[in-house]
Amino acid sequence: MKKDVFVALSLLTAFLFISYAVTVRDVLGIAENPLRPLGEFYLSHAFAHEGLTSHSPEVVTAIVWNYRGFDTLFETFVFFLAIMGALSVLRLTREQGMEVRALEAREPHRHMDTITRTTTKLVVVMIVSISASIALHGHLTPGGGFQAGSAMAVATLLLFAAFSKFTLERQGLTLRHTISAYALGLAIILATVIAPVLLYGGKVLEIDLLPGETGLFNLDVGEYTAVTFGFLTVFLALGVPEWIFKLVLRREVK
Amino acid sequence: MIAAFLIFYITITLFAMVFLGIYGVATRSNLIKKIIMLNVMGDAINMLFILIGYRLVYPVFPPIYERHITFGEFLRRAVDPVPQALVLTAVVIGMAMNILLTTYAIQFYRLHGTVDARDMAEIMGGERE
Repeated sequence: MKKDVFVALSLLTAFLFISYAVTVRDVLGIAENPLRPLGEFYLSHAFAHEGLTSHSPEVVTAIVWNYRGFDTLFETFVFFLAIMGALSVLRLTREQGMEVRALEAREPHRHMDTITRTTTKLVVVMIVSISASIALHGHLTPGGGFQAGSAMAVATLLLFAAFSKFTLERQGLTLRHTISAYALGLAIILATVIAPVLLYGGKVLEIDLLPGETGLFNLDVGEYTAVTFGFLTVFLALGVPEWIFKLVLRREVK
Repeated sequence: MIAAFLIFYITITLFAMVFLGIYGVATRSNLIKKIIMLNVMGDAINMLFILIGYRLVYPVFPPIYERHITFGEFLRRAVDPVPQALVLTAVVIGMAMNILLTTYAIQFYRLHGTVDARDMAEIMGGERE
């Protein structure tokens, strides 16, 4: 208890100090809100020079996939590592997987009432179309692959809640398929990144060499697929009913 | 003047949220509460970045070129794109980290029946604080 008070007091002191620095001294420089030189450089160079254009009137996408393309590429790998970490914790051996499937087949198929299901169907169609438009117009309007993938993951979560996981699995959305789709998304990204080297003799991620907006469009679509199915994979793995997983796992511990 | 005051006000609130998050992560022993406070902290930091990139001009534009705007006008009105590009990836990576942490917490609960950090220390052979 005494430690809690100590932590709270020291954080409060730090907070007061930072408040003083931000308001009176204006260390963040937000009072006048000038455009910083770096931001001005990106705004004025992203689409201006014909030879050096990033093919994207949206400056954020130009930064994300063109100026700082390697940053985003490695962010994709960080995402990959997080998904793989989650999956490796939730992994099952072949016998355990078969046991889980046998137990799941005997589970009753519960879903919510008609009103919830109909509303979910309507909302899911809207979310999917919105996310597709965010992803495919990512280089023209606000948005891109990351945001579209997150929106799409929300749509699948809604489906999980209103219908059950088993309904989706009966329709063919199994773990094997989602992992394959995730790999496809990553393959699209890697192919687009390598394409300038193989086709035009440029450097890795030099997507200006590809004709028109192909590079940005491919990267956005690849990121959209990767993020959507990466999340969906973990949701499916987490969606195994609690008691089945416990039953299978506790045996392993003993 | 009022706008600048509002910006300061929001900034201080966000800093308060950051410190509240640190306090929660440091003092709560329930893992789920720790994850929630981590999220509060992360979202406050992301919003702080967006706020730093915002500009106090009246018709403020998103950083997207349009044909009917002249270039000088665009530079005068557009917000800073750099913090937005930073936050864009940070949000998704935050969500992925979230999934990883939640998965670990759920798996630990399934195996040992607790998400309390003190119990976890005991189970792992350490000393209960």
